[in-house]
Amino acid sequence: MARKALLISPELCIGCRGCQTACKSWNQLPATKTVNEGSIENPPDLTPNLYNKIRYVEMPSNSNMVRWLFVSQRCMHCDDAGCIKICPAPGALFKTKEGAVGFDKDKCIGCKLCVAGCPFDVPRYDEKDKVSKCHLCSDRIAEGLEPACSKTCPTGAIRYGDRDNIIGKAQKAGYEKLYGQVDLGGLGVLYAFKDSPKIYGMDERPQIPETVVFWHKVLKPLAYWGLGGAAAVSLLHYLVIGPKKDEGGDQL
Amino acid sequence: MTVIRKASAFEILNHWVLAVSFLILAISGFGFLFQLEQLNAVFGNFNAMKNIHNYAGIVFTASLILTIFHYLPVSLKFGADDIAWFLNGGGYLSKKSKVPPQDELNAGQKLYYIVILLSGLAIAASGFAIWLRPQVPDIRKLVVLSHLVHNIAFDLMIIAVPLHIYLATLANPGTLRIMITGTVPLEWARKRHAKWVRKMGY
Repeated sequence: MARKALLISPELCIGCRGCQTACKSWNQLPATKTVNEGSIENPPDLTPNLYNKIRYVEMPSNSNMVRWLFVSQRCMHCDDAGCIKICPAPGALFKTKEGAVGFDKDKCIGCKLCVAGCPFDVPRYDEKDKVSKCHLCSDRIAEGLEPACSKTCPTGAIRYGDRDNIIGKAQKAGYEKLYGQVDLGGLGVLYAFKDSPKIYGMDERPQIPETVVFWHKVLKPLAYWGLGGAAAVSLLHYLVIGPKKDEGGDQL
Repeated sequence: MTVIRKASAFEILNHWVLAVSFLILAISGFGFLFQLEQLNAVFGNFNAMKNIHNYAGIVFTASLILTIFHYLPVSLKFGADDIAWFLNGGGYLSKKSKVPPQDELNAGQKLYYIVILLSGLAIAASGFAIWLRPQVPDIRKLVVLSHLVHNIAFDLMIIAVPLHIYLATLANPGTLRIMITGTVPLEWARKRHAKWVRKMGY
């Protein structure tokens, strides 16, 4: 099946947060009470009950009083996903056939390593210590529907489709390279940025922590081969040189 | 047959506590590392395995700290005889090879203890950091670092411990009884721990 993706176009977003509401509605996530901290960005951060959030960025601008940038922030559905890489519980985090990173709360053991492995600080933990995040509405897309956020978006700031199609269309529209096109094996959420990603509050070069990659490539195989090697060396020594026997000494 | 006491009852008990808790930790740890669902037959499920891993970690840490009283002072004594022991491969490289007189622990055992103590303390500290997530400015950085330390220490131990088990059983018949009765024949001790036997007044 073709890999699916979302295309986020901050310049088309009007900050209505219909996507936040539709997401909560479809995923049956309760609202959270917040207080005004001087920004209309609300809630201020992703929570176990908020899979998708519009980040409000105010930039100084020559042509206007202020330049507003509204950026959808959520799980990026990496192809090479740090959370899946570091997760010790089989099946707790997994790839769906559409390329989304899904999760299974029953299999999650609440270790929170995925929080450290994620380059985008996305996974949150609910009150039962189970992982919670955007899953690209994997239950909807498995049935051929589009995610709740893109379905609801009134301006086309969030579009859903085949990843290759999305990239092709964006290139025709003049975007040479989308944010997330190649990072981490290619993200499942692509951004049509007109400026440097930093301005939109995104990492220029997101990557899985180097130590996690080192662990995956070196330390993990070393545990396997180290144990086997120690056993093999012992066996070899026993067969070739043999045990230290005490001539005439008492033995157990 | 004259026997000489090499380990106290408490030392024997503590060593078994350390050994059993280590085995539980290592097996479940291997299960997490390679997502071995076969281990569900032993632990039930991964949630139960996590809890057993965490609480076995407390037992392991306490037991490891108690070993300091038994093995650290002698392990820190490192002299010419210890160096010669290593240069002779501990006498393990051929049937004829001989090593100089050794203390209560031989040079290899001393090094082994230092490796286990340091990697054990590192794996314990990093394990508790991952489990308890202390209030620090950047918890993600701390967990990533702890994850690295936890795995380096695990690699050290998963190589060192099997060698220790082999050397204490098959490679040296008569050694295992130190961890059962706590005593060894005097002649056995003279051959392996001459300096210690002399110090004990035999």
